[in-house]
Amino acid sequence: MTVDKKLTGTELIIALAGRLDTTTAPQLEAELKANLPGVEHLVLDFAALDYLSSAGLRVLLAAQKQMNKQGDMVVRSVNETIAEIFEVTGFSDILTIE
Amino acid sequence: MKSKNKRISQSFLRWLLVLVSVAFLATTVFLWIIQTRLSEENAISLLALNLSDVREDVSDASDENLLKLTHHVADDLNRMKTIDNAVLQELVNRYDITEINVINEEGIIFATTHPDFMGYDMRNGEQSAEFIGLFYGSTEYVQDYRPTTYDPSLFRKYAGVRLQRGGFVQVGYGAERFQQDIDEFVVGVTRNRHVGSGGCIIIVDEAWNIVSDRMGNEGKNLDVTGLWIDTSSMPENKVFVADVYGQSCYCMYQSVEGYCIVAVMPRSEAALSRNVSVGVTTAMQIMVFAALFIMVFMLVKRLVVNNIYQINDSLSAITEGKLDTVVNVRSHVEFDELSNDINSTVDTLKRYIADAAARIDAELAFAKAIQHSAMPSVFPPYPGRKEFDIHAAMFTAKEVGGDFYDFYFVDEDTLAFLIADVSGKGIPAAMFMMQSKALLKSCAESGMSVEAVFTTANAKLCEGNEAGMFVTAWMGLLNVKTGQLTFANAGHNPPLLRRADGSFEYLKSRAGFVLAGMEGIRYRKNELQLNPGDQIYLYTDGVTEATDAAQTLYGEQRLLDLLNAHHGACAKAICEAVKADVDTFVGEAEQFDDITMLCLNYAGSCVHEEVDA
Repeated sequence: MTVDKKLTGTELIIALAGRLDTTTAPQLEAELKANLPGVEHLVLDFAALDYLSSAGLRVLLAAQKQMNKQGDMVVRSVNETIAEIFEVTGFSDILTIE
Repeated sequence: MKSKNKRISQSFLRWLLVLVSVAFLATTVFLWIIQTRLSEENAISLLALNLSDVREDVSDASDENLLKLTHHVADDLNRMKTIDNAVLQELVNRYDITEINVINEEGIIFATTHPDFMGYDMRNGEQSAEFIGLFYGSTEYVQDYRPTTYDPSLFRKYAGVRLQRGGFVQVGYGAERFQQDIDEFVVGVTRNRHVGSGGCIIIVDEAWNIVSDRMGNEGKNLDVTGLWIDTSSMPENKVFVADVYGQSCYCMYQSVEGYCIVAVMPRSEAALSRNVSVGVTTAMQIMVFAALFIMVFMLVKRLVVNNIYQINDSLSAITEGKLDTVVNVRSHVEFDELSNDINSTVDTLKRYIADAAARIDAELAFAKAIQHSAMPSVFPPYPGRKEFDIHAAMFTAKEVGGDFYDFYFVDEDTLAFLIADVSGKGIPAAMFMMQSKALLKSCAESGMSVEAVFTTANAKLCEGNEAGMFVTAWMGLLNVKTGQLTFANAGHNPPLLRRADGSFEYLKSRAGFVLAGMEGIRYRKNELQLNPGDQIYLYTDGVTEATDAAQTLYGEQRLLDLLNAHHGACAKAICEAVKADVDTFVGEAEQFDDITMLCLNYAGSCVHEEVDA
């Protein structure tokens, strides 16, 4: 998985590519931990993300909780497979999906 | 890995270079000193040699000259009957000599041209006594130029020749007189004589006028050469330094026959031989030291550094976890011991790891037993109940897992059954799973409706969920008498439902959010009527997301097809068939996620039971 991040002022855009699973989730978790302080708008771009496991969901949930306190979070360009995962797990209720 | 520390070979090279340089400098300085002294000594011996050669030449020439004259005088006297002072005076005038003495057989001068010498006994003085030898065998004798015994201020060169009548005649020369005779010869002496390649001989007379000199300064005072000699303070045959013809030179002088012979050699010539010698030796030293340097460096590299690299490689392998790597550098005692030490350390480490692993294994096995015993594992679980047939199985990826299933009667006719999946794996997931399972059961057994069970459990699970874990779950409450099913879904994969007369289909319902994910979530209740022959299959994503070696997912379609291929099979047979198919699909690839499933056949339609019956 590759993590491509772009910080503009208080807006952080993170584009993920590949698989977000048990092995790669800690990488995203570390990136978020390092970059989230001070961010008011977090955008996660899933255009190039192929797969999302429950470990990945856990990181998204943690990010959403964090952003609830300091701003907002948007998940963007979600493909069909991942949209279904969000639907099945109920994540579509708590995430802002564009 | 890049390190700020130096390599052994670099440090070694540095020190070797310092030591070799010091040794090189020391030997060069030593050599310089020795060679300087040696070249000086060479110069001195060369000067001395030339001086004695020239001295010999000059004195031979003057001896020969005087003897020849003395023989003429002796021949004349032999022809005379009587000898007196007047005859001698005539001879003095004829031969242009300074003095003639005739000595009788008693050694007394009985005739002389020097008025004071009449009657002088030759034995009385050391200088004159030397001629007494003429009475005993030798017929001629020449003395070098020196003071006379009778009058030390009077310098003479004497020669004596035996006379036929007995006694002998002695002929004496003053310096000016014999020098006249041999000057021509003396001039020639220095012409072709070189001291070394650039040195020369200068001969001066008693008045310090140059008699012979290669530069053609004959007749001039010695001053023109730049030399200055003070005989009283500068002894003969002792080297001194003076500027001669504008060049700093080693000089040495000797007096002979009224002459002063000076040998001169430029210091630069002496220095040149030293410089050449030191230069050649230094060049050779550089080669020798360079060879030594390279040889020692290669040896150290070969004997020490390469072995260290070899040990390092083994250590890297050990660090990477290949604990069976044996360090085996046996070339020297030190490396042998080091290898043994490392090997025994690794052995001890392996033992500790094995002990720890054994302990952890034992604890995990224990934990696994606890986890499995927490779930119903005796099938069929309710042998007296004919209304349904239920079977479940769980296969953890690690010893303990985060999946679980459960079923129990919450009242006489209501069967609760559920499947759940905790995010993550291993011990944290297992602990969260145990907590979730107990919580769901206590809520369900308190008689809550299914959505209330989830809502309550979610609120409790959210309390103190520092690790941010969550759990997806699907739970159903089935009235086994009526077939009425109420269920709720907390983010879990939809189960598959087969009607008695149809094929399996995914039981889509609007799912609620996962449990423990967020506080205040409200879950919805769904209702469904089960009829005899209906079958429901619950599973976790370990089934559909099982992956083969080519990273292909097992998939929902494949599961659907497989289930449909086992139409009418009992719950146990369904579970076993799915597991077998997943195992075949995965092949050699490692199992990543827990695989859990539960199958319920409503109202005694089990083929298995019919066969048994």
